[in-house]
Amino acid sequence: MSRSKPGVHVVVFEPATGGCGASRLLGGLGAEARIEVLSDVSAAAAAGRAPGVDLVVTDVAVEAGASRLLDELRPDGPPVVITGSELGTEAALDWFRRGAADCVSLAGRGSEALAVVVLEQVRRWRAVRERGASERRIRDLERFNEDVIRNMNSAVLVMDPEGCVSACNASAAQILGRSEADLTGRQVDDWFRDESGEGIVARSLATGARFRGAETLITRPDRTVVPIGISCAPITAADGSLRGAVATFQDLSEIRLLQRQVLQTEKLASIGQLSAGVAHEINNPTGFIHANLYQMSEYVGDLRRVWTLVEQLQKCVDQGEREDLRRTSQELASLAEEVDVDFLLGDLAKAIRESQEGAERIRHIVHDLRDFSHPDTGERVLADVNQCLDSTATIVWPMMKHLVRLEKEYRDLPAVPCFPTQIKQVFTNLMVNAYQSIEEKVGSEGEIGRIQLDTSRRGDCVVVSVSDSGVGIEPSRVDRIFDPFFTTKKVGAGTGLGLSTCFSIVQRHGGTIEVESTPGEGATFRVVLPLDECGDAES
Amino acid sequence: MPRADGPSLLIVDDEAHILSALRRTLRREGYEIVTAESVREALQVLEERPVDGILSDHKMPHMNGDEFLALAAERRPDAVRMLITGWTEEIPPGRLEELGICALITKPWDDTRLKATLRRALSG
Repeated sequence: MSRSKPGVHVVVFEPATGGCGASRLLGGLGAEARIEVLSDVSAAAAAGRAPGVDLVVTDVAVEAGASRLLDELRPDGPPVVITGSELGTEAALDWFRRGAADCVSLAGRGSEALAVVVLEQVRRWRAVRERGASERRIRDLERFNEDVIRNMNSAVLVMDPEGCVSACNASAAQILGRSEADLTGRQVDDWFRDESGEGIVARSLATGARFRGAETLITRPDRTVVPIGISCAPITAADGSLRGAVATFQDLSEIRLLQRQVLQTEKLASIGQLSAGVAHEINNPTGFIHANLYQMSEYVGDLRRVWTLVEQLQKCVDQGEREDLRRTSQELASLAEEVDVDFLLGDLAKAIRESQEGAERIRHIVHDLRDFSHPDTGERVLADVNQCLDSTATIVWPMMKHLVRLEKEYRDLPAVPCFPTQIKQVFTNLMVNAYQSIEEKVGSEGEIGRIQLDTSRRGDCVVVSVSDSGVGIEPSRVDRIFDPFFTTKKVGAGTGLGLSTCFSIVQRHGGTIEVESTPGEGATFRVVLPLDECGDAES
Repeated sequence: MPRADGPSLLIVDDEAHILSALRRTLRREGYEIVTAESVREALQVLEERPVDGILSDHKMPHMNGDEFLALAAERRPDAVRMLITGWTEEIPPGRLEELGICALITKPWDDTRLKATLRRALSG
């Protein structure tokens, strides 16, 4: 018989005197057995219910007491063993019927059997208790699992090794647009496919590999399409065999919306910054064209007066009246001197030329502005990156021309598949940053900074670099500059989203941004864009 | 031939075409007009000769018009000082009074009004 640890704990109810002496007999169980002897039935019932009690032994010398103990401890208390000095078969059967675990008559050899009966009952009771406890643990775990899956904000699907749904939660049902019951038993790879069209869950099941953060689109039964981010991992049984897979996924609609809003906010922020510069740029030529037109109309007035005299002079010549001819000729000479015809003709041509130049400047900037703000169609187009860079420079330039010398070196480039507005946004942010960095460095000392724009081809990519002679970036900050909301600018000067927006746009195009800087001397940002169409197709 | 025996006027603007348009506008006003395309050039002029009035653009490289006029006032305190700018709101409130600037003209300017403002400013 296996002795369970710790030592057995037995509660014995027997009269103080005149009992059959069970407690004495149990002394033989050894020192580690705890025998609690009580002669008061209420105290015995209470002691019997205490946790850790293995068995209650009661003497039938107090029959009412034995009955009450049985009633109070059944059905879920510890077993009760009935002892008596003379227990007949009838009486024993009666006690069994009333729920006793065993009956031991202590007459004769029965006294030797008591310890064995007690230990056997303890063993059984402990086994029952352990089974109950593990069943409770299993129920608890099942409940816990269910609660976790059900209440998780992420959608969860559990698949069997064949890829059929064996469990799911309400979020999953909601995203997939089906009821939980409808999902159970379905094959999931109809839904979750990566860019190559391969089933994400099937791959996890086939290779046993985890799959993290894939993005895909799901079409619901009502034909609506939801972007989701999905992770999938195989699950194995205790023996290591494949039990299926668990997939968690989120609805990315809201995140996508926020991303678009951030992009738009960032774009508006830069347009706000730029528009003042552009307005200045348009205002100057408008100013001088306006003034020139006014003057030119005065010039025309003066020239008309001269022409009137010329016509008069012609008439005089025709009529041959010498006196009139001389007089008109003198008038013409003095008028010509008064209005300064030589100057007028020369300056009129000059005013026209200058006004044409001003109008051309306005036309150019308005053209680039339209080009700059033109929204993308939502699909990639083949664009001339040199032109994107140059039209952006036209718009950004006015705000910085007082402080910056702009140098350009464009090389011939193949067309790049891209979203041109987004790419221009990247160039804008880089140029504005370059300008602000120069502004911080030169201040109002009357110096001029330099921004250099370069384009070139590198293998299957084009590289656009924006270099400045500004303050540069501390090495400790280089790793953080692409983090959202990280800014070193003064409060109000930057959203902290500029570079992080650049980063996500370039990433979306399958490209990278490189940065190189010597603090105090300037920085170079290189945008590398692949010529083949890769990256996220979502605009 | 227009007379140029009236008050002398220094016009400062980094945009050459603005200078030539202003010259045209003021051609018959009789001013002796001197132009400068930069603050540096304008300060040079002020070192060399007195002027009766200064009309300066505001937004210029290296230095804004108000700062320039403050320097000009140190060199030629008697010269009447005026600002011309596309964005009058860029001049901080109280700045004109502080610097003793007597007129603020908006670009693009109205010819008749510009002439009247200058006449008034330079008559005393």
